[in-house]
Amino acid sequence: MKIMHCPLNGPRNISEFVHGGEVREMPNPATCSDREWADYVFYSDNQAGVITEWWLHAPSGYWFIAERHTVTDEILKTYDPSEIFNQRVEFSKEDAAAPKEATA
Amino acid sequence: MSTMTPESFSKRSFVYRQLAGAEFAEVAGGALATDFKNGRAQAEKSGLLDLSVLPRTGFRGSRAAEHLKAAGLPVPAKPNQAEQSANGELVLRLSMKEFWVLGSLADNGAAIDALNQRPLPDSDCYALYCQDSHNWITLTGAALPETMAKVCGVDLREASFARGAIAQTSAARINVIVVNHEVKGIPCFSILSDSASAEYLWESLLDAMAEFGGEVIGSNALA
Amino acid sequence: MSNRLDAPMGLLIDRESQVSFSFEGKEFKGFAGDSIASALAGNGRWVMSRSFKYHRPRGPLTMAGQDANTLIQLDKEPNVLADRELAADGLKVFGQNYNGSLDNDRDALLGHFSRFMPVGFYYRSFFKAPFMKNKDTWKFWEPTIRKMAGLGVLDLDFKPEYYDKAYLFHDVVVVGSGPAGLSAALKAADAGASVLLVEEQPVLGGSLTYNRFDAEGKKADSLKTELLAKVEAQDNIEVLVGAACNGWFADNYLPVIQGKRMYKVRAKECIVASGSFEQHVVFRNNDLPGVMMSSAATRLMKHYAVKPGNRAVVLTGNDDGYLTALELNQQGVEVAAVVDMREAPQDKSLATAVLACGIEVMSGYTVYEAIPTKGNKHVRAVDVRQIVGRGAVAKHGETIDCDLVCMSAGYMPVYQLLCQAGGQLRYDDNASEFALSNLPKILRIAGSVNGIHDLDAVLADGERAAVEALQALGMAGDATAPAVSCKRQVNFDWPIFSHPKGKDFVDYDEDLQAKDIVNATRLGYRDVQLVKRFSTVGMGPSQGRHSALPTARLVADATDRTVTETGVTTARPPFSPEKLAHVAGRIFDPYRRTAMHHRHKEMGAKMMPAGNWQRPAFYGQPEQRDQCMQTESSHVRNKVGVIDVSTLGGIELRGADAAEFMNRIYTFAFLKQPVGKTRYAVLTNEHGVVIDDGVACRITEDHFYVTATTSGVDRVYREMMKWNAQWRLDVDITNVTSAFAAVNLAGPDSRKVLEKLAKDVDLSPEGFPYLAYREGSVAGIPARMLRVGFVGELGYEIHVPARFGEALWDALIEAGKEFDIRPFGVETQRLLRLEKGHIIVSQDTDGMSHPGELDLGWAVSRKKPFFVGCRSVDIVMAQPQTRKLVGFKLPQGTRKPEEGHLVLNGADISGNVTSCEFSPSVGAIIGLAYVGIGQSEVGERFPIRVDGGEIVHAEVVELPFFDPDNKRQAL
Repeated sequence: MKIMHCPLNGPRNISEFVHGGEVREMPNPATCSDREWADYVFYSDNQAGVITEWWLHAPSGYWFIAERHTVTDEILKTYDPSEIFNQRVEFSKEDAAAPKEATA
Repeated sequence: MSTMTPESFSKRSFVYRQLAGAEFAEVAGGALATDFKNGRAQAEKSGLLDLSVLPRTGFRGSRAAEHLKAAGLPVPAKPNQAEQSANGELVLRLSMKEFWVLGSLADNGAAIDALNQRPLPDSDCYALYCQDSHNWITLTGAALPETMAKVCGVDLREASFARGAIAQTSAARINVIVVNHEVKGIPCFSILSDSASAEYLWESLLDAMAEFGGEVIGSNALA
Repeated sequence: MSNRLDAPMGLLIDRESQVSFSFEGKEFKGFAGDSIASALAGNGRWVMSRSFKYHRPRGPLTMAGQDANTLIQLDKEPNVLADRELAADGLKVFGQNYNGSLDNDRDALLGHFSRFMPVGFYYRSFFKAPFMKNKDTWKFWEPTIRKMAGLGVLDLDFKPEYYDKAYLFHDVVVVGSGPAGLSAALKAADAGASVLLVEEQPVLGGSLTYNRFDAEGKKADSLKTELLAKVEAQDNIEVLVGAACNGWFADNYLPVIQGKRMYKVRAKECIVASGSFEQHVVFRNNDLPGVMMSSAATRLMKHYAVKPGNRAVVLTGNDDGYLTALELNQQGVEVAAVVDMREAPQDKSLATAVLACGIEVMSGYTVYEAIPTKGNKHVRAVDVRQIVGRGAVAKHGETIDCDLVCMSAGYMPVYQLLCQAGGQLRYDDNASEFALSNLPKILRIAGSVNGIHDLDAVLADGERAAVEALQALGMAGDATAPAVSCKRQVNFDWPIFSHPKGKDFVDYDEDLQAKDIVNATRLGYRDVQLVKRFSTVGMGPSQGRHSALPTARLVADATDRTVTETGVTTARPPFSPEKLAHVAGRIFDPYRRTAMHHRHKEMGAKMMPAGNWQRPAFYGQPEQRDQCMQTESSHVRNKVGVIDVSTLGGIELRGADAAEFMNRIYTFAFLKQPVGKTRYAVLTNEHGVVIDDGVACRITEDHFYVTATTSGVDRVYREMMKWNAQWRLDVDITNVTSAFAAVNLAGPDSRKVLEKLAKDVDLSPEGFPYLAYREGSVAGIPARMLRVGFVGELGYEIHVPARFGEALWDALIEAGKEFDIRPFGVETQRLLRLEKGHIIVSQDTDGMSHPGELDLGWAVSRKKPFFVGCRSVDIVMAQPQTRKLVGFKLPQGTRKPEEGHLVLNGADISGNVTSCEFSPSVGAIIGLAYVGIGQSEVGERFPIRVDGGEIVHAEVVELPFFDPDNKRQAL
C-alpha cells in the first residue's frame, strides 16, 4: 500500500487519506460566462505531469495540499493549504455589476 | 457500593455492558469499573480498561493554548505530543490549535470540571465535545505495540512512538487517537475513538489481545 | 523404511519420532519433519498423484513446493502440496485426478488420445462444436470434463478456523535466507538496522541446506553453520521461517503468510534474495516418476535422508550436475552417467573428480527419451543421444538403465515479486538467462536472482545490496558496496528436444508439450500473453516457474523474435497459492450503535443497517413488517411515538463568521435567521445538485447547530472544512454527530409526555412554537430541543449528550406509559414523512436532482452573493425543466410499485419511483416519482412498470398526502 506524508501526522498508509480533487481556481460565479463555469465544474485537464491536489487525512480531519506526478504516481511534496490560501475570501453582491479578479 | 451498577446513573459508559462482573465506584456522576478478579499483574501483562466516564475536555482555536496555560496546564510544544500535568491530567496537542485534556484517576477528573467552569477567552477558543463524541479506553501492559500491530498500520514500537507521542490514525478501520503514556510504571496506550463505535473497538481489541493473555481490568489495577 | 540414508543426511527429520498416516488407504510410516512426499518416497512410493489433463502418473519434481506434480487430497483440504505439507499421525491422504484408484486410473487412456486433444482443444471443441449446432455444447460437456479434469474435492462441512493478520515494521526486509539473504541480513543488522528475514522453507540456509558447492562437499555445511550462528547472535534480526512472501505492493508493503496469519510487512528497504528455480530439460517422458530436478534429488537426500534412486543418470547443462553426481555417489546411489549437453564443463576439476569415482561423462549428449515401466509408473531407462544441432539429436542412441534421472538445464530467477514491483526481464543471449532491471529505488536484489551464481560472489552480492540499502537509510557509515561479478555460466541455451511422439512436457501442470506451444504460434497467437491464454501454459498452480523459460524460447524461435522481445507473461500476486481464509481472516467490519441501541433490541426491534449504523426498522417480527408499521404509525398519528434519531448528523459552527459561513454553504439565507429559531437547510454541490439537507438551529448570534443526513454528514463536514481551508473565515467547524443522542418525540400527546420531564422550559404553543429551538433539561439531562414537523405531527427532537442517551430513552418510555407511548422505527418514519411529502435526500434525489425538480425553489435564496453551486443552480433552473418529482396515488389492492420501478411515457422511460408505501392514514398506495414534465400536473395519470412487466396507472396528486394544511405539526 502506498504511503503518503501528511504534513501534520507524518507518513501514513494511503488508506487513511481521502482524495479531494485538483486544486482549481474558481472563476467568479457572478461574472464568468456559462462556458467558463461549465469548464470549471465539468472539465478536468487530466494532464500527464505534476498536479496539485487536495487530500484529507481522515483520522485528524486535516486538509492539505499534495503535488503528485500523474505518470509515476510519485508524491513530490505535501504542505498546509495556508501556503496557497492565506487571505480571507469575500463574495459581494457588487460582483455581478463590476467584474473583478476571480476568487479562491 | 456493591449494589451500584452503571444503570444507577444517567451518565453511562459507552461499553458498560461489557463490564459484567466488575466492581464499580461513582466517578463524575457515572460508574467506573474499579476491580475485576485480576489486578496489577494483569495490567502489567495485558489489560483493557474502560475510562469512558472519567472526565475529559478539549479546546480549539488560536487562543486555546493561552486558555490552558492560564489554567496552569502544560502545553506540548508540537502537534501529536502529550504532556502530563503535576496532578496527572494528560494534555494532548492534536494540531497547532487543538488540545484535549484527559482527567486523572487521582482526583477522578475533578480538575477537568474545574477547567470547564473557567470562562473561555472571548474569541477564538471553542470547547469541544470529546466527553461524548469520543470513547476513552486504555490498553495496558507489555505487549502494546504487538497488540496494536494487529489492528493498526502505524509502527507504535518505542523507537518510533515514544512516551508522550500521539498517533491520529485508523485502528480496526475506525479513526482513533492513540496516546502513549504511563501510569504508575505501567505502559499505557489510551485510545480515543468515536463513541458510537465503542463496543465495536472494544470487541476488536479484546480479540487482538487474546494472544497476549489480555483481559478486561479495573482502574485499581493501575493503582 | 528401506530407502533411508544415514545421518548427517536428513536435516529436517527427527528419527526419534515416528509418524503414521495413510495414503490411498494404505498405512505408511515416516519421521516427524517429513513432508508427505518424502515420507512416501522413503517407503519407495513414487507415484503420488496424476496429471491434470492426461492423468499421467506423477511423482516429486522439485521437492520444494514449487510444482503441481504432487498435489494431494487431505480429508478436509484439496490441492495440498505433498512436498510442503508435513506428514502427521492419522492423516488420510489421497492422490488426485484419477478415476478408480491412483494406480489404476480408468482415465489414463486419455494420454493415448492426446493427438485428438490438441492445444486449445476445450475452447475449440466445446463452445461451438459443428456437430451440435443448435445446442449449448459447453453446458452439455461441462460436467464430464469437470469430473475428469478434477483437482481436489472440497469439504462442504468445513468449520471456519481463526485466521488473522498483523503488521510487522522493519528497516529492512530480506526475502530469502540462502547465502545472499543471510549475508545481506547480517550486514544490515550489524550496522544497526532492524531486519526481517523471511524464508519459505522450514529452515534457514536456502541452497546451503541441500546444494553441494565443491568437490569435497564441505563448503556448504561449514558456511551455513557459521552464518546461522551469526544470525542467532544478532538481536536486530527477526526471522520468519515457513513463511511465503506472496506479493510486492507499493512502498514495500509485503504480505507474508506464515501458518494461519498474514503479516503485512512494512519495510523502508527491501532486499529480495529469492534465488532461482532450477529448470528442467524438455524430452519425451520427462514427467515420469523418477525424473526430477537435480535439486529435488539432493533435497531428498540432505533434507529427508531419502535415497532418490538406485541407479542414476544426471542430465546437465552446467557444472552443478557434476556436483549432484558426486553427492549421489557419496550417498550410495550408483551414477550410470553424467550426460552433459555441453561440449565440456567450465570447471575441469569437477569432471576429473567425477571420473575418479568411476562415473562416465558423456559430453555433447542428451537424454532424448525416458523409457517407462508398465503403466508409466516409473522411469526404467533412458535413450541417450548425441546432440547434432540446436534441439536436434543423432538418429541412434544408447539405452542406459536407471531409476533416477536428475535434470539440471539451468536456472530461472524467482522474478515474480520483482515483476510485480515493475521490474522488467531482459534475456541475456550470452548467458541464456533472464536478468531483472528497472526495479523501484527501495527494492534491491542479490544472489542468483540477480544472476550471480559463484558462492563467494553471492555472499558479496548480499553485502552489496545491504550496503546500498543502508546508504539509503543513512545508516551505512563509511561502508562502501563491494563490486561483484560472476563468470559462472549456468544455463544451457537450448535444452529442448522435441520428440515426434510428444510427451515432451514444457508445462507439467497443464500437460503441455513442446508442439502445443509451437502450434499455438502457428494458429496466430504470436504474443506470449495470447499463447498463455490459448494454450493455458503457465496457468497452473506453479504459475510458469518451469514453463516460462522454455515457452519464451519456443515462442521466440517460432516467431523469429528474440527471447527478450517475447518475454514472459505477467506475474501477479499471490506468488504461492493462498487460502481465501488468509485474505478473509479477521477482516474489520466496523459498526456504530447509538446509546439506545440495546434498548431497541430489548424491545424487539428488527434492526437494519444505515451506513455503518444499526437502526430499528420497526419493532416486531420481520414477517409482520406491514402490521408493525401500521400500528406504529397510527400511534404517532393518534397518540405518541418516539424514534431514536441519534444517527442524524450534527455539525457545530461557532465564531464571528458562523452565519456568513452558513450562508455560503447552504442555499437558504441565514444571516438574518433569528436566535432560537430553526430553518430548513439544503446543500447543493458545485454542480447544483442537491446532496444533503438538515435543520439549522441558531443557538446564539455566532453559534449554529445544524443537522445533516445520517449517510451524508461525513461528506458535508469534509466539504465544509475544505471550503474554509480556502475561505479562511472566522468559524470553528465540529462534527458532533456521535456527541449527541437524539430522539424525535412525536404525536398529539408528545407535549404532555415532555411536560412531565421538562420543568424548566415553557412548552406552551406560544412559549415553544413550531420551528423554534430551546434549551433546557429533560429528566434532569441537559437537552437541546427542536420543534420539527418531519412526520407531520406535533413533535420535539430532543438532543442530549450521548452518555445520557439511554437514560433519556428510559425516562421518555416511562413518562409516556400513561399515554400509551410506543417506539417507532425507521421504516415507519419513512412512511409518515412520505404521507407528508417530505423528501429524503439520496432516496428521492439522484445525481442530477436540482432544487427546481424537487420544488425546493423556496429554500434557495436568490438575493445573496454566493452559495456553493449557486451558479450551476442559476444555469439549470434557467433551462426548460424535463422532469419533476411528484406525489402519486394508487388504489389499495393495486400491485405496489417498488423503488426504482420505471415511469413510462409512450415507449420512453420518463422517470422512476423513488418512494412507495401503503398508507393507512390515506387509505391508498402513495409514493414519490420522477415523471416527465408533461406528466407532472395534478390529475395526470402516468404508467409505472412494476415487477413482471405489469403496468399500473398512477395519478399525480397534490402534496402532502396527509393533513394538507400542515395544521397538526404546528399545534
